[in-house]
Amino acid sequence: MVEAIALAHGWEMQHDASVVVIGQDVGANGGVFRATAGLQQRFGKDRVQDTPLAEATIAGMSVGMATHGLRPVAEIQFMGFLYPALDQIVNHMSRMRNRTRGRLTCPVVIRTPHGGGIHAPEHHSESTETLLCHIPGIRVVCPSSPARAYGLLLAAIRDPDPVMFLEPVRLYRAMRQEVTDDGQALPLDACFILREGGDVTLVTWGAMTTETLRAAAELDARGIGAEVIDLATLSPIDIETILASVAKTGRLVIVHEAARNVGVGAEIAALVAEHGLYDLQAPIQRVTGFDTIMPLFKLEHDYIPGVQRIIDAVELTFAG
Amino acid sequence: MSTFRLPDLGEGLAEAEIVEWHVKVGDHVRVDQPMVSVETAKAVVEVPAPFSGMVTALCGAPGDILPTGAPLIEFDSGTVVGTMPATSEEEFVETVKIGGAHRQELQRTRAVPAARALAKRLGVDLAALQGSGREGLITLDDVLLHNGASCSPGARALAAARPTDGTVEPLRGVRRAMAQSMSLSRDHVAGSTVCDDADIHRWTQRGDYMLRLMRAMICAWRVEPALNAWYDSGTHSRLLVAHIDLAIAVDTPGGLIVPVVRNIESKSPDELRAAILQQKEAAHKRSTPAEDLRDFTLMLSNFGTLAGRYGIPLVVPPAVAILGAGKVREDAVVVAGAVQAHRRMPLSLSFDHRCITGGEACRFLACVITDLEKPD
Repeated sequence: MVEAIALAHGWEMQHDASVVVIGQDVGANGGVFRATAGLQQRFGKDRVQDTPLAEATIAGMSVGMATHGLRPVAEIQFMGFLYPALDQIVNHMSRMRNRTRGRLTCPVVIRTPHGGGIHAPEHHSESTETLLCHIPGIRVVCPSSPARAYGLLLAAIRDPDPVMFLEPVRLYRAMRQEVTDDGQALPLDACFILREGGDVTLVTWGAMTTETLRAAAELDARGIGAEVIDLATLSPIDIETILASVAKTGRLVIVHEAARNVGVGAEIAALVAEHGLYDLQAPIQRVTGFDTIMPLFKLEHDYIPGVQRIIDAVELTFAG
Repeated sequence: MSTFRLPDLGEGLAEAEIVEWHVKVGDHVRVDQPMVSVETAKAVVEVPAPFSGMVTALCGAPGDILPTGAPLIEFDSGTVVGTMPATSEEEFVETVKIGGAHRQELQRTRAVPAARALAKRLGVDLAALQGSGREGLITLDDVLLHNGASCSPGARALAAARPTDGTVEPLRGVRRAMAQSMSLSRDHVAGSTVCDDADIHRWTQRGDYMLRLMRAMICAWRVEPALNAWYDSGTHSRLLVAHIDLAIAVDTPGGLIVPVVRNIESKSPDELRAAILQQKEAAHKRSTPAEDLRDFTLMLSNFGTLAGRYGIPLVVPPAVAILGAGKVREDAVVVAGAVQAHRRMPLSLSFDHRCITGGEACRFLACVITDLEKPD
């Protein structure tokens, strides 16, 4: 996936001279995970700028560049270090279009790794997407395969408004997939149906798609057809696709790595309760991280939902 | 990513054999830490790490002989934190469908959650029930009634209201079609009705009400085209139709039949008269072809030929308006301060307020009245 991300950067920088890349170590070093590898050599130091370790500055620079006609793609090294940038994101980036009544826009992409599972120290395994999804005026996107990382990043860069692009860290090098470097963007605001099934709908995103697909395969062996939907754009939510699936299956299980309390899963559950309650055959289930701080690496795999927890939740929807 | 090549170990030798690796993929090594023992022709030598970083690949196994300058080990010297799961060599293949697909026809039973729970408790099979709620939704009362119980007040009322004599007559044909289109109207249309009267005192002849009503609707449509439209609630769009296909309500012993007279705006009065007559006859003979019963853009009901002054006609989607004409009679009308007896035609215009504004409806109605009030 990390190579697909570098590829998307390269394509868009080649075809749009206003695209610039900024962040700590994105230049000479090629980014903390090598997502911007080779870009500075290819496009020069003006377009690929190393910045100090100062997230508020990175976000602030992005606002300035974007309002003056550039399309900055900024890297924040870990989601746990995003918070100093939130002031710029909430108070300026997300509302620039509204504040100036459309005179200025803020076509910024902020990329940051998302989630755990790589035995990293504290602050390096966060999945706090729900903080971002609550902010009006920005999109929040989280790809789950190299092909989607490529297509969705292109769409994010081309979007006229700010996009937070969350990259599931344990997928960076977890799979090898053929990606055609043809500049084809994928739609933002649409879910992706990764597997079709008629008995239960599993909605998930990011790295959890791996466990969810594995659970779906096990359920299939038992004769339960699970439809797996990758949410992909976490805000705004493509609820129509989910409602259509729930109308078909009558059962919904939401799987996410982030803590449960007020998570994105809660919003999906609320939307389905509002618009699809009569289609449900059983109460909605959520399989999530726990309402505690992401543990250090010895326990992180107890925190991240595993295949068994997903299957248990699906069984609950059949037990009722 | 950087590759460290087997260095010349200072003896001018062309190759070396790997004896033992001291590091493995994923290890973090520090500069000068011994990485590998290699044997040259003369001795076993430790090769130290040239820099700190994470080992991503070992380019040979113990026993392999590497020429000087060949890749020995690969590092990621970045600030990678943690351990990346290694790339699976197997290609990741997926079949993905992009969402936003339209909803399929519902096959599953839709039921109020409490009805579901109750049915389970009572052992009632929901699939055997006919839901009485909107779009066939099974309600609590459906389950109770099915079970013969009548614990809920609503269910009691329903059960009590059902007389024991009489015969059950299933709705068929046009009557069934009426039930369906009226349910559609109830479930989807935001109906609103506005009523007024047209003073037809100046008509020189008693006239053909249908023809005059049609002419008036055409005039009104030219001024206010919004009422001759199809509304698509799925896409929130309206199609303003460039001609009028008028559905006319015909009462028959078999039920309500609503045939369509096409392109009324381009027909002469004689043509219209003939078309109306033909459709009425066909309706009474039950010989209206199916294609003449659909795809109308505007509706007209001249119910006043029977009785009734005003009514609340119901719009059948996707059309957005229906005009109803009530029974013509003599009214006491104030003219220049004096009461006179004038014949007046009561009008009731219903419209789908999701798509039509009150202003549009009233302007349309005003034009209808103005045209109807002309002498001929």
